[in-house]
Amino acid sequence: MFKTALHATVAATALFATGTAYADVTVYTAGPEKLIADLAAGFTAETGIKVEFFQATTGKVMARIEAEAANPVVDVLISASWDTATDFAERGWLVPYTSPNAAMVPDFLKTDTAVAQGVAALAIAWNPNSGTPRPAEWADLAKPEYKDLVNLPDPAQSGSAFELVAALSADGDMSMFESLAANGAIVAGANADALNPVLQGAKAAVFGAVDYISLNGKAKGESIEVIFPSSGTVIAPRPVMIMEWSDNQDEAKAFVDYMLSDAGQAIVAKQNLMPARTDVAADRPLIGDLKILPIDAATVYGKRAETLESFAKTFGK
Amino acid sequence: MARSVETVSPSVIIAAVGLGLVVAVPFLFIVLQAIFPELGRGSLTAPFSAFAGALGDAKLIGMTGNTLLLGVLVVVLSALIAIPLAVARALFRVPGAIVWDVLFLIPFMIPPYIAVLGWIMTLQPRGYLEQLAGFNLTGFLFSVPGIVFIMTLNSFPVVYFAVSRTLETVGSRYADVARVFGASPMRAFWRVTLPLSTPGLAASLLLVFAMAIEEYGTPAALGSRAGFDVLVTAIDLRVSDWPIDLPGAAILSLVLVALSFGAFMLQRWVLSRRSYEATTGKPQGTAKRDLGPWKWPVLLTFGLVAFVATGLPLLAILAGALSRTISGGLVWSNLGPDNFAAILGDTTGALRALGTSLSLGVAAALVTGLLGALSAYAVVKSRARGRGVLDVLTILPNALPGIVVAVGLILAWNQPWLPVTPYNTALILLLAYCCILLPQPVRYATAAFHQIGDNLEAAARVFGASPLTAFRRILLPLIAPSLLAAMLLVFAVATRELVASVVVAPVGVSTISTYIWRQFEQGSVGLGMAMAFLTILITTALPLIVLSLMGRRGSLL
Repeated sequence: MFKTALHATVAATALFATGTAYADVTVYTAGPEKLIADLAAGFTAETGIKVEFFQATTGKVMARIEAEAANPVVDVLISASWDTATDFAERGWLVPYTSPNAAMVPDFLKTDTAVAQGVAALAIAWNPNSGTPRPAEWADLAKPEYKDLVNLPDPAQSGSAFELVAALSADGDMSMFESLAANGAIVAGANADALNPVLQGAKAAVFGAVDYISLNGKAKGESIEVIFPSSGTVIAPRPVMIMEWSDNQDEAKAFVDYMLSDAGQAIVAKQNLMPARTDVAADRPLIGDLKILPIDAATVYGKRAETLESFAKTFGK
Repeated sequence: MARSVETVSPSVIIAAVGLGLVVAVPFLFIVLQAIFPELGRGSLTAPFSAFAGALGDAKLIGMTGNTLLLGVLVVVLSALIAIPLAVARALFRVPGAIVWDVLFLIPFMIPPYIAVLGWIMTLQPRGYLEQLAGFNLTGFLFSVPGIVFIMTLNSFPVVYFAVSRTLETVGSRYADVARVFGASPMRAFWRVTLPLSTPGLAASLLLVFAMAIEEYGTPAALGSRAGFDVLVTAIDLRVSDWPIDLPGAAILSLVLVALSFGAFMLQRWVLSRRSYEATTGKPQGTAKRDLGPWKWPVLLTFGLVAFVATGLPLLAILAGALSRTISGGLVWSNLGPDNFAAILGDTTGALRALGTSLSLGVAAALVTGLLGALSAYAVVKSRARGRGVLDVLTILPNALPGIVVAVGLILAWNQPWLPVTPYNTALILLLAYCCILLPQPVRYATAAFHQIGDNLEAAARVFGASPLTAFRRILLPLIAPSLLAAMLLVFAVATRELVASVVVAPVGVSTISTYIWRQFEQGSVGLGMAMAFLTILITTALPLIVLSLMGRRGSLL
């Protein structure tokens, strides 16, 4: 048994060690897995360049990049938070590149070193079977009809939720969240943790749900409606960046080009994200259809810790 | 000098090298990261500068207190549930004993993050319970008792299996001697049998404590709503919230390690006060007693525990897996095998993830089993110098949160000057699982070694066996039941490990847990539940098949 175990271990080790081939482009992404899988397949079919990817949440992707900093592996990074693009540019970690396909990407979705792959928006995700009236505005969810029936994603765990809190609490005015808290709304973990109870009916609505996940759920037959308040909402563009330490910059640029091509943007639209290019159609409300609340990123992120703390205090955490 | 070289047996050397590689290397880098904040960028500047910030956090004392409280409560409740069951199982003829063993094995196979989601979907308003029975228990679920209850259901099997197996080894012979000398049955049990099984009890309670303070899924899902923050959730926040605070996470992990180390010292103190040798080579009867009038109450208790710990979570997972949509609820028109079809049709890459995790689980069980047996031998039976250090190494990973192990492994194995590295191969996952799970086989094997008399090995040596032969032919078979049980647990947990896998998985590699987690993140709860259900079936069935093929008496089942 002793020897068998040893042999098995050695054999397994050899198997694993030889099983990995290095890819031509390594992408770390915080998006839906289907999206990166389809993009990678399409890109390889068109160019013959292979793509290996690591997909997780923005937080986990960042943790990995930080731990790898001595010997980085990633060529292309796709984050779910624009903040990453700003911060990495300041650190000098990004290669300036403007894709020829980015001409139709609006200016606020691109910089010298980053361009949006697609855009999500935050919305009210409401379950029509919940026995509550259809909400139209953020403030509606503080009404007695929704007592104890509203979930909020935790802004400490979700970048887009933080921007919504910042946008709706301009000048530190937390009154909207105070009335929500008084109405029994609770903070329920990251985005998925906030949505699931609404699907099952334990809650009636998510205040600030990531739209494409709910839209995908609706397409699968879930009883969920995505409502964009006319008073405005925030968007979460997903920046794509090429890392300055990449040994495969030409291939990385080709990947960015593909992602912004007609075919690439169609794949983005298929996931119910808004395409970054304004000339690509999608079967959902687009940026032009939404009122976007203005936020000054520098100020908002400068006060992140204070905003989170006063938010947490409001909800008695 | 010459003498000490002579007395170091090869098994001790293998144990030392293996422990160094699997545990000491990543742990060293975690400590270095705590001391040198810029370590990730290859710089050793500003040592100790992160300590003040991390340890000065005003919430630290509260979180440490909560962590301790959680650990102690889970240990107490696990002991209360498991010990009576284990005593009945070990000393009496419980009808259907093997069936109960299998049913108590399953909670261990249910990934904690799935179990807690199953409980949420069952107990919350309009959950499965309310759909079927008209009421919900949401108030209980999102409270400290609720967290303790759910974590206990996941961990009491550890105590049950350890105590019932050690009690079986002790047998009733010593108690019979006590009876001959006039002790009442109760007195014989309390004064003789139970104390003799202390090694197994203490080892399993230590494991449960360490598992409880290190667990992430349940406190994260339930604790934040109960306002109950623990160290692990704070560590995870530091690792996932930009800007990433690796030094802070490393320092808080060291606090966790200190807590676990304290529990370990307590266990060692308990064990060192006397000898627990019960396997002396003398033949011993294994006859069990009849339950008599207690038969039905005992069966009822076994049934109740099995239903709550195994039946309910499995049913909740199955309900989620069979539902076409979550909002559709439990009505016939909404139920169907679509999610299972998607997995078996492999349209989503599920089968590859399944294959990866199962082979990693087997490899981790073999490596930790071998290393665990050798380390436990080195610590308990050898007189090698520095064996205390080995013992400490085997306990360290117990309290390291998975995510911190992952970071330590990346820091250690992604150094630019390494000529070859397991990083970015599946081997790094194997290293992570071995590091996290090594304490299980070590604790079980240590407990078993404590019960084996020294004269058995000495007798083999007198008859000319080499140290390795004596280990292989005498000691290993004697600890095999305990070791095998631990290896099965390693297999089960490695197959579903999530927290380290998410961060350390090589590019392009999915494991079962990362697959399930992605489904949940993207809103496909049903698909994730279906995968979880299949995994539980496979990880339960596979060990059972292996055991029945080996057909050895006295093994786990």
